Amino acid sequence: MKDVIWLIKNLFKVTFKDKKKLFFTVGLPIIGILVSILIYGGSNTSTLHVGIVNHDHSMISSNTVKFIKGLDHVQVKEIKAADVEDKVSSGQLDCVVTFDKGYTQSIQNGHPDHVNIVSIKGATVTGFVKSYLNQYIDNINDLSLAGKGDQETFHRLYTDYQQAPFKMTTGTLNDTSKNNDMTYQAIGFLLMFMLIAAGNLSSMITQEKEGRTYFRLLSTPIDSKKYVLSNIITNLLIMIGQIIVTLIFMTKVFHIQLSMPVWEMFVTLILFALVAVGLSLAVIAFATSSAAGNAMLNLIVTPSCLLSGCFFPSGIMPETVQKIAHFLPQTWLLDTIDKLQQGQHFSQVYLNIFILLAFACAFFLIAVYKFGRNNNVNNFI
Amino acid sequence: MKVLEMKHLTRKFGDFIAVDNVTLAIDEGEIFGFLGTNGAGKSTTINMIAGLLHHTKGEIRILGKDVTKNKKFAKSHIGMVPQDIAIYEDLTAYENIQFFAGLYGLRGQKLKEQVEEALKFVGLSDKAKSFPKTFSGGMKRRLNIACAIAHRPKLIIMDEPTVGIDPQSRNYILSSVRKLNEMGCTIIYTSHYMEEVEEICSRIAIIDHGKIIAEGTKEQLKAIITNTKDIWIGINSTDTLDLSQLKLINGVKEVKVEEDVIKINSSADVNNLNTIIQYFIAAGIEIRTVEEQAPNLDTVFLTLTGRNLRD
Ligand SMILES: Nc1ncnc2c1ncn2[C@@H]1O[C@H](COP(=O)(O)OP(=O)(O)OP(=O)(O)O)[C@@H](O)[C@H]1O
Ligand SMILES: [Mg+2]
Repeated sequence: MKDVIWLIKNLFKVTFKDKKKLFFTVGLPIIGILVSILIYGGSNTSTLHVGIVNHDHSMISSNTVKFIKGLDHVQVKEIKAADVEDKVSSGQLDCVVTFDKGYTQSIQNGHPDHVNIVSIKGATVTGFVKSYLNQYIDNINDLSLAGKGDQETFHRLYTDYQQAPFKMTTGTLNDTSKNNDMTYQAIGFLLMFMLIAAGNLSSMITQEKEGRTYFRLLSTPIDSKKYVLSNIITNLLIMIGQIIVTLIFMTKVFHIQLSMPVWEMFVTLILFALVAVGLSLAVIAFATSSAAGNAMLNLIVTPSCLLSGCFFPSGIMPETVQKIAHFLPQTWLLDTIDKLQQGQHFSQVYLNIFILLAFACAFFLIAVYKFGRNNNVNNFI
Repeated sequence: MKVLEMKHLTRKFGDFIAVDNVTLAIDEGEIFGFLGTNGAGKSTTINMIAGLLHHTKGEIRILGKDVTKNKKFAKSHIGMVPQDIAIYEDLTAYENIQFFAGLYGLRGQKLKEQVEEALKFVGLSDKAKSFPKTFSGGMKRRLNIACAIAHRPKLIIMDEPTVGIDPQSRNYILSSVRKLNEMGCTIIYTSHYMEEVEEICSRIAIIDHGKIIAEGTKEQLKAIITNTKDIWIGINSTDTLDLSQLKLINGVKEVKVEEDVIKINSSADVNNLNTIIQYFIAAGIEIRTVEEQAPNLDTVFLTLTGRNLRD
C-alpha cells in the first residue's frame, strides 16, 4: 500500500505541475456554474412567460386563463397554435398551455381533459404552472361532480365559486424552476469536465508507455496492477475534488439551491465518477497510442454529453435521439438528479443508481478484459 | 557468489526465437559485456532478467533465487538502465530520481541522501532543480542512469547507456561504471561499441541470432582467432592489381581492397610475408606501408559472426 500511495503522490505531482491542468480540472466546472447562472438568470423571483393557446373559447376556459394571468410572477401571452414550437424552443416563452376544444365539456362531465403544457425546461417549469392549474381545475371539477351532471346547478355553483376569493396559499409553492435549471446546467457541465479529467488521467497510462517510464516502473518492485490501481485512485480523488469544489461554489458562493440534500448530490456524482473512470479506462485499453486514445475520448465525450442533455434539456431533441440517450450514463445521472429534486427519496431512485453502477461495472470489465489481452508478456496492460 | 545465473533461457515471439537457449553465470564484482548486432537479442535477454518479459523456457536466478517465484526480491536488487531513456519530463532531475528510488521503499533522510549521491555520481548536482527538457542528450542519459542506481542495487543492468551522446558524457559514463564496480556493484553492460566493452568489461559474451556464440575474457576471446593474422599493405595504385594471384599464395584466406589498402587475412602459422611482398614487387606496384594487425575484438566478432558489429 505504501508504494501505491507513493505512486499516487507522483501522479498528482506530474498532473498538477502544469498549472494549466489544475485550471482545467477545477476552474472549468466553476466557469460552468457561471455560464449556467448567465443562461438562467440569477434571481429567484424572475417572471415566468406563459403562452396560452385557447381553442375552447368558453367561459370556463377564459376564466382559467384569467386565473393564470392572476398568478404572481407570471406573464401571459395568447398565441396561435402554429407558433408554439417556435416560441418555446427559442426561449421566448417558458411554457405554453393549450386548451383544446372540449375542455369545458370534459370538466362538466367530471373528467377534466384537453389541457396540455409544453415546455423545454422540463418538469420544473411545467410543475409550477401545473400545480396551480390542477388545483383550479380540481375545484371546478368538484363543482361539476356536486352538480351531478346538472348544467344549471353547475353554473350556479360556478358563479359562486368565481366570486369567492381564491383560497390557495401561494407562499408554499416557490418557483424552484430557475434554481433547478441552473443546478441541472451546472451539473451538466460538471459531468463533461469530469469525463475530460478522467480521460486525461487515464491517458497517462498510454503516455507513460510511450515515454517508456511505464517499463522502468515495472522493473522496480511495483507490478502493473498496483500501477493501474494507483491511476484509478488518483483519478477518483481528482474527480471528488471537482465535485466538492463545484458543490461548494454552487451552494456557498453562488447560493444556488440544489432542491435536494447536498450529500445525495455528492453520492450521486461519485457514482458518476466511477462511471467516468471506467469509461476512460475502457477507451484507453483499446487505444494504440495516446493520440488515438485522446481522439477516441473526444469523439465519445462531447457528443454523448450533447445527446444526453448535459448542455440543454434533451426534451427538445427528436424522440429517436432521446431513445439513444437512454444508453448513455449521463442521461441516467441527470434523471436521478431530476427525480431527487422533485422530492423523491434516495431509496426511490434505486433503479437509476443500479443502472449507473451497472455502467461503471461494464466499463471496468471491458477495460480489465482488454488490458489482460493486450500483451503476451507479463504486463497487465 | 553468482549474482546472476541463466540456464537454457529461451524467449519466443510467436514462432520467432529471439533468445535461444542462453546459459550464462555472472559473478559478483564483474563488469559483464554483452555484445551483439541490432536485433541479436540483447534487450530481450536483459528485459527477462529485469522481470519485464516472461521467458518461454529455462530459468533465471538472481542472488541464488528463481525470479519467477521471487519477483519482488529479484527486482529490488536490480537497477535497470533501459535502452530508451525513461524519465518524466515534467519532473526535475531530483524529483525523477527521488520518485524511482522511493519505489524501492526508500523514504525520508535516507532517500534524500541517496538521491543526492546519485545526482553527484552522474555529475548533475548543479542541475538538480532543472527539468529534463532543458538537458542535452548526454545529460538525459546520465539522469537515466542515476534513476537506476539511487537505491544501491547489487546488480546494475545497462542497456546501451552511451547511444548517441557526445564523447565527454560518454567518458563520464564509462568512468562512473568503473566507479560503481569498485563500490561493489556487479554490472551487465550491452553495447554496440567494441572499444567501450574492450575498455571496461572483465568478461564478454557475444550473442548472435539469440545464441551465445562465444564467452570469456578479452584474452580468451582473442585466443579463439589467433590462428589467423591480418596484413595490411598500403599501395599507390590498384590499377595492375590481380587479387586472384594474391589468393593463391600459401596461407592467404581472404583479400579485401579498401581504397588503397589491401587487407589480407592469412593463417597465423604460415610465414608468407616475403612471398606477398614479392608479388607486389613483381607486379611493379609500389608499397607505401606494411602493417601486421594484432587481433582485436572487432576481428573476433567479424570472424565469429561474419559481420561487423555496426553494419
Ligand atoms: N515484442 C516483440 N515482439 C516481436 N518480436 C520482438 C519483440 N521484441 C523484440 N523482438 C525481436 O527480437 C529480436 C531481438 O530484439 P532485441 O531488442 O533483443 O535486440 P537487441 O540485441 O537489443 O538489438 P538492438 O541493438 O537494436 O537494441 C529482434 O529481431 C526483434 O525484432
Ligand atoms: Mg536493444
